[in-house]
Amino acid sequence: MINHETLHAPAPLPADEARRLQVLIDLNLLDSPPDERFDRITRLAARLFQVPMALVSLIDAERQWFKSRVGLALAETPRADSFCAHAILQDDVMVVVDACRDARFANSALVRGDCGIRFYAGSPIATGDGVRIGTLCISDHVPREFGEDERTLLRDLAGIVANEVAALELKATVERERRSAAAVRTLLEHLPDGVLMLDRDGVVVSCNPAAERMFGAPARQLAGQPGAFLLGMAPQVVARREGDARRADGGSFAAAVSIAEMTLDGQAFLVATVRDAAWHRAEQERLRAANQRRHDFFRTASHELRTPMASILGFSELMLKREFDAVTGRELIDIIHRQATRLVGLVNQMLDLARIDAGGSDQMHPAPLDLADVVGKVVAALEDPEQAARIVLDAGPATAQVLADPLRVQQALANIVANALAYSGPDSKVGIGIVPSAHGGRDGVAVTVRDQGVGMTAEQRHQVQEAFWRAGSLPDVPGNGLGMTLVREIVAVHCGLVEIGSAPGQGTVVTLWLPLEGPAQDAGARP
Amino acid sequence: MTRRILVVDDQPDLRLLIRLTLRALGEVSQAASAEAALAALAAATPDLLILDVWLGEGISGLALCRQLKDAPATAGIKIMLLSACGQQSDVAAGMAAGADHYMVKPFSPESLLAAAAGLLEG
Repeated sequence: MINHETLHAPAPLPADEARRLQVLIDLNLLDSPPDERFDRITRLAARLFQVPMALVSLIDAERQWFKSRVGLALAETPRADSFCAHAILQDDVMVVVDACRDARFANSALVRGDCGIRFYAGSPIATGDGVRIGTLCISDHVPREFGEDERTLLRDLAGIVANEVAALELKATVERERRSAAAVRTLLEHLPDGVLMLDRDGVVVSCNPAAERMFGAPARQLAGQPGAFLLGMAPQVVARREGDARRADGGSFAAAVSIAEMTLDGQAFLVATVRDAAWHRAEQERLRAANQRRHDFFRTASHELRTPMASILGFSELMLKREFDAVTGRELIDIIHRQATRLVGLVNQMLDLARIDAGGSDQMHPAPLDLADVVGKVVAALEDPEQAARIVLDAGPATAQVLADPLRVQQALANIVANALAYSGPDSKVGIGIVPSAHGGRDGVAVTVRDQGVGMTAEQRHQVQEAFWRAGSLPDVPGNGLGMTLVREIVAVHCGLVEIGSAPGQGTVVTLWLPLEGPAQDAGARP
Repeated sequence: MTRRILVVDDQPDLRLLIRLTLRALGEVSQAASAEAALAALAAATPDLLILDVWLGEGISGLALCRQLKDAPATAGIKIMLLSACGQQSDVAAGMAAGADHYMVKPFSPESLLAAAAGLLEG
């Protein structure tokens, strides 16, 4: 049994089908609204050839879609039924005089159905690169002859359609380019890095707004200047180099520069990307200084720990291996005990420093604090009554309470007082005063500790807050140089200040100032 | 002939430790700074100098060592540097300054005694 449908053979696919479909999609014509530029051609064709139907048919993957149609209600039909799917397989006009007598179409729905097509003539529409996207075609309900003149006419009309398609394609391309250029320009305008385009002689051709800001001059003024002058380096390809770039006003700024080659319209150019490196450089310097401080700290810590250990190990070994009289032996044990105590003190201070260093103000437990009470506790804690007797309290009017960690503040003050006692004569007085005082617009309370000791040079004042420094030429002073470092750290987490005023032979005044409002909540606010 | 040894260290406890350790070798005198050491050297030239590298204020032990080794009158004095800085670079710096021996704190008195005796004999 013969099925009519199986007699109907759909057109084979063109060899360039995939590319053809891509071109069709890029044209953006499928399912677009009617366009007069095509409609006038189909109208003309219908009149010219005296046919009821004229179409611009685009062959999609599974259908033919009519960009323009005269005399046909359908907007699209299956590709399998399509005459045009056959027509695009050849260069020239395809004519079907009587579809009923053509095995390819006799069973097509377009022939047997309501459309009742008998005659067909279609000329392929080719784009610039030779891809046939569809046809301009005419058809009739009756068979017709189609002569050479008529073929020529249809071919010419199809050529006009192709030109319209090409015009649309060009317009779309131009629009795409414009948008892409605008996108690139916007990108360049908003780039925080300065971009300079240099010609092959290294002269600035153009630049972006960031470069105008960095170099302090408008693009028209920068153009024509030698890139080497502005960049502070030879204009040659470089991945990244830091240097000092020069501003139009003669000033300079730290810049990280990358230079790459580019070609535009066959001409070679250089593109220099400039990044302001001042912040980066400052950050590196800060890190380097922090690392150096840490390195120095460990080096000095090791040194400080070894010194008492030398006494402990040395004297204990001597006592184990040699004979000493009772008095000398007791003296040596006293030294060992003193140095071991010093070692414990050092270790405790190092642990305190490490805790403050790690935790910042999180390690603080601030409470409303009367500094006069704290000073009282510091003096009361002095073990040696002769030392305590040297303290003179300048009891002024009561001061406001500060918000601070009681134990930490006591620790800091105890260190300052111990230093004052240690570095001044055994019979001299150490005065302690407490006064209200404002700093940087913040109200606070200052505690001053004044001694009549050897005093310090400006250099020593600076060094006194570095770990482990101590007035080295005073061999009889016990303790260690960690005290003032601890004071500094404690004051820092309270957002307070410590100041040292001193001159050689004039005694020393250490002022510890704390703000009323206490440590900032944000540890990052530490100075 | 009695050997003369000069100990230079800013720590009194360590000066005592070294004196007690080395007194069997000869006459041990002491100084608390490089300046005091120079004054003592002007009065009498020792055979051996035990010199702390870090002397706090003033001239460092390292500088004093170099100064003495550079001067013909004092170049013959054996110098043992003593320091709590024991890194290789510290030792190298000490030997570069002309020291005959570098001893790191803490040290065993027995090894100090042996090293000092070796320097005095050598």
